[in-house]
Amino acid sequence: MLKTVKTKFFILASISSLILLSGCGEFKDIDKMVFVSMIGIDESGNPDKPYKIILKLYVPTSSFKQNPAPEYTYLIKEGLTMDETISLLESHIDKELDFGHSKLIVVGEKMLQNKKNKVILDFLIRRPDIQMISYFAVGRPNAEEIVKFAPAGETALQPTIFNYFDNSGAETSYIVTSFVFDFRRRMKEDGISPILPIVEMDESKTHFIINKSIVLEEDKPPYELDSEKTLLVKLLSNEAKSIFYEVKREDELFVTRLDTIKPHYTVDIKDNHKVSIKVDIKLAGIITESKNSLRNKELPRYSKLLDEEMKEKVTSIINELKREGYDPIGFGLSLNSHTLPKNRMNDKEWLSAFQNADVEVKVDSSLKSTGSIQ
Amino acid sequence: MSSKEILSWIMNQFNDTVELTYKPLELDNKKITVLYIKSLIDQELFQKYILQPFFEIDSEEKLQVYLMALPQFQEVPSKEEGLLYVMEGNVLVEIQENLYAIDFKLSKNSDVNSTSVETTIHGSELALSDNLMTNINIIRSFYHEPSLTIEYFLKGEVNKPKVAVIYDQEKVKTTALEMIKEKLKEIDKQVITESPQFSNFLNQKRFSLFPQMLLTERPDRIVYNLAGGKIVLLVDGSPQCMMAPVVFFDFMTTMEDNYHTFVISNYLKLLRYLGIFVCLLLPGIYIGAASFSPEVFRTEFMLTIAGSRMGVPFTSFVEVLFMLFFMELLLEASIRLPKAISATAATVGGLILGTAVTEAALASSIMVIIVSAVAISTFVIPVNEMAFAIRIVRLLLIVVASIFGLAGLTLGFLCLVMYLVNQTSFGEPFLRVYNYRKENKKSEGEA
Repeated sequence: MLKTVKTKFFILASISSLILLSGCGEFKDIDKMVFVSMIGIDESGNPDKPYKIILKLYVPTSSFKQNPAPEYTYLIKEGLTMDETISLLESHIDKELDFGHSKLIVVGEKMLQNKKNKVILDFLIRRPDIQMISYFAVGRPNAEEIVKFAPAGETALQPTIFNYFDNSGAETSYIVTSFVFDFRRRMKEDGISPILPIVEMDESKTHFIINKSIVLEEDKPPYELDSEKTLLVKLLSNEAKSIFYEVKREDELFVTRLDTIKPHYTVDIKDNHKVSIKVDIKLAGIITESKNSLRNKELPRYSKLLDEEMKEKVTSIINELKREGYDPIGFGLSLNSHTLPKNRMNDKEWLSAFQNADVEVKVDSSLKSTGSIQ
Repeated sequence: MSSKEILSWIMNQFNDTVELTYKPLELDNKKITVLYIKSLIDQELFQKYILQPFFEIDSEEKLQVYLMALPQFQEVPSKEEGLLYVMEGNVLVEIQENLYAIDFKLSKNSDVNSTSVETTIHGSELALSDNLMTNINIIRSFYHEPSLTIEYFLKGEVNKPKVAVIYDQEKVKTTALEMIKEKLKEIDKQVITESPQFSNFLNQKRFSLFPQMLLTERPDRIVYNLAGGKIVLLVDGSPQCMMAPVVFFDFMTTMEDNYHTFVISNYLKLLRYLGIFVCLLLPGIYIGAASFSPEVFRTEFMLTIAGSRMGVPFTSFVEVLFMLFFMELLLEASIRLPKAISATAATVGGLILGTAVTEAALASSIMVIIVSAVAISTFVIPVNEMAFAIRIVRLLLIVVASIFGLAGLTLGFLCLVMYLVNQTSFGEPFLRVYNYRKENKKSEGEA
C-alpha cells in the first residue's frame, strides 16, 4: 500500500517537474525559421561601424518543380560589433534566424589585410549556432559581391558554391577547402599557417573562379598563392587526388594525368642545428596530351622528365614559402610532433630556422602509358 | 454411491431440460440404461456401436466386455465426473450396476482452418481448427516424441471449456511450467472463450504493454516452439493458441525465415527490423527535426520540409497526431468491415487522406509520406500483438518528442529499451538476445 502511494507521488512529482523544464531548445516550427545560407563579413569603411554583415537567406519553396529558379533574400547591416549587428538584423525579419545550415563564411579581402581575422574567428567560435564545419573563404573583391552572386545554372535550394568545396561536385585540385574548425586550429597551432581559398567571379559575371589561395601568418600581411602554387601546396599536404601536370623539357611538351600522388616529408634537426626538410613524392599516372608523338619504349625517359620538372617546381615553392616565412603545409608542426616539449623551438627561433632550412626534394614518378592505343 | 443413484442425481441436475434423454432398455435377460444429451452426441455412432450390439449380443456379460473394448470407453469415477461426461457428449451406460461413459461427441467445428492472420508464401497454409481434439491431433501428428505431454484443465466457472497445456517434458523450462500451472490454478473467471484471454489471465501485472505470450494459429510454429521448450496453451473452441515463455525477438520472426535461404531470410529480417525502427521513430524524428533541431538533416531536405509546411495551420506535432489518428481509424475500420467493403474503404480513405489533406493544406506532403511509411512499416511486424504494442509506444514517443525534441526522443527510446530489459515472461528475460547461450538452447524458445 505504502509502495503504491510512493509510486503515485513519484509520478506526480516527476510530471510536474517535467512540465517546468523547458527541454532542450524551444519548440519552434520549421516554417517559423529562416535559414541562413551564407554569411558575408566585409569592412564598411565607416570607422563608427566598421563591420558589414551580409546574410544570404533561403526562401523555401513548396515544390522544386514549380519554382526552380534560385531565390534568396539578403539582410545587410553595418555595425560596431558583429554580434550586435546580427541581433539587430533579427529585428528586420519576422522569423527566427537559424545559422544551423549556413555552410559558407565569406570574408572580404580587406578584412584580412587589416588583420581582422582574429576578431572574426572569435565571433564565429563563440556563437553556438554557427557550425564549425562551415567552409571559410576569402571573397574578392569583397564578401558582399560574392555572397549576392548567383551564377548561371544555379537552381533553387542548391547554391552551387558549396559544390566547389565539398568534393561532391568539383574535384579539381586547385581548390583549397578550409573549414572553420580547421582554420581555427591552424590559427592557434604553432608551426602551421592557415590557408584559405579565394573566391572570385569571372569577368562576364557568370561563374565563380576558385583557384587561388591565401596564406595567413601572424604579424605578417596575407600572402597570395596563384593557381599553380595552390596546386603544389595541395599536392604537398596530401590533399590532391588527381592532377594534370604539364612537362616542358628537352623539346618535349606533354601533359600528364597523375592519379596516384603520395607525398611524404620529414623534418629533422641535423647535428649543426640546422633544420632539414626532406620531401619524397611518389607519382603515377599516364600521359594525356603531347605535342610530339611519343613511344611506349621511352616511358622511363618521360618519367624522368616529369621527375625533374616536378622537383624543380616543388623546390622552388618550398623555397619561396620558406623565404617569406609562411608554412601552410605544416613543416613546423611535423617537427614539433616528434620533438620533446623541452626541446621545442619558440616561434621566432622556428621562423629563422625554417628560413635557413635545407630543402631536399626527391620525386619518383612512373608513367604507365602514353595514353594512345597502339 | 451406486450407479442408479448417480444417474438420478445427474438427472436431477438437469431437472427440467428436455434435451436429456434417459432410456432403460430391456430385452430377454439383458438390461442396460443409457443417458445422453441428444444434441451433443453422434446419433449414427450411438446406433451402430450401442444399439445394434445390444440387440445382437446375447448375454449381458458379453455386452459389458464389448463396451469396455470400445475405444471411446471411459470409467465414471464420481457423480460430478459423470455430469461432466454427459455435458461433453458422452453416453452414460449403466450395465450390471456399473456406470460407463462412451464418448460419442459430435463436433461440427473440427475442420482445419486456413491461415488468415499469419499468412506466408512458403510453407503450409493450414492453421488450427476450432476443436481441441483436432488441434491436439494435428500437433501430435507433427511432433512424434513420447515425451510430448498434454495436461487438461477445466477453467471458467460457467462454460467450463477444456484447456490443454502441451509441452515436451524433456525440453520444457520447468520453472516456467510450474509458474504457468500455478497461475492457471489461480484463474477465477466466469467465462473463458478464447485462448488469447489467457495472456491476460496468466499475467499478474495490471498494466502491461508488451505481450507476455505469443499467439499463433500455425501448427508449424507450435511444433517449432514445442521443440524449443515452450509451453503451449490450447482452449477448446479457439482456433489460436498461446505460447510461453517468449522473448521479444520471437515476435519478430516468421516461420518463413526457416524456409528461405540464408541470405534471403537474413535480408528479410533486416528489412523487418528497419521497419520496426521506422514505425517507432519516424514521426518523432519528424517532430524533433522540424521543430527543435532543423540542423540535423541536409539543407535541401530541411528547406523542402519548410516549404511543404508553408500554409499548414498546425504545429508539427498536432499535424502528426492528426494524420496518425486518421490512419489508426482507417486501420481499425478496415479490420471490422466486411472484406468486400474494407478494400474500398482503405482506398477511399487513403486517397482522401493522402491527396485531399495536402490540397487543403491541412498537412504537409512530407507528413503524408511519413504517415504512409509508418503505416506500411507497422504491417511488416509479423506478429499482430507486437504491432499493437508498437503503435502505443509510438504515440508515447511522439509525446516525448514534441516536448523535448530529438534528445527527448533518444531518451524515450532508451527508456523503452530499459522497460523491455526489465520485463520477464514467466521467468525468462524478455529482451534476451536470440540464442545467446548455446547450452541453454534446450530450454529456449527459438521461434
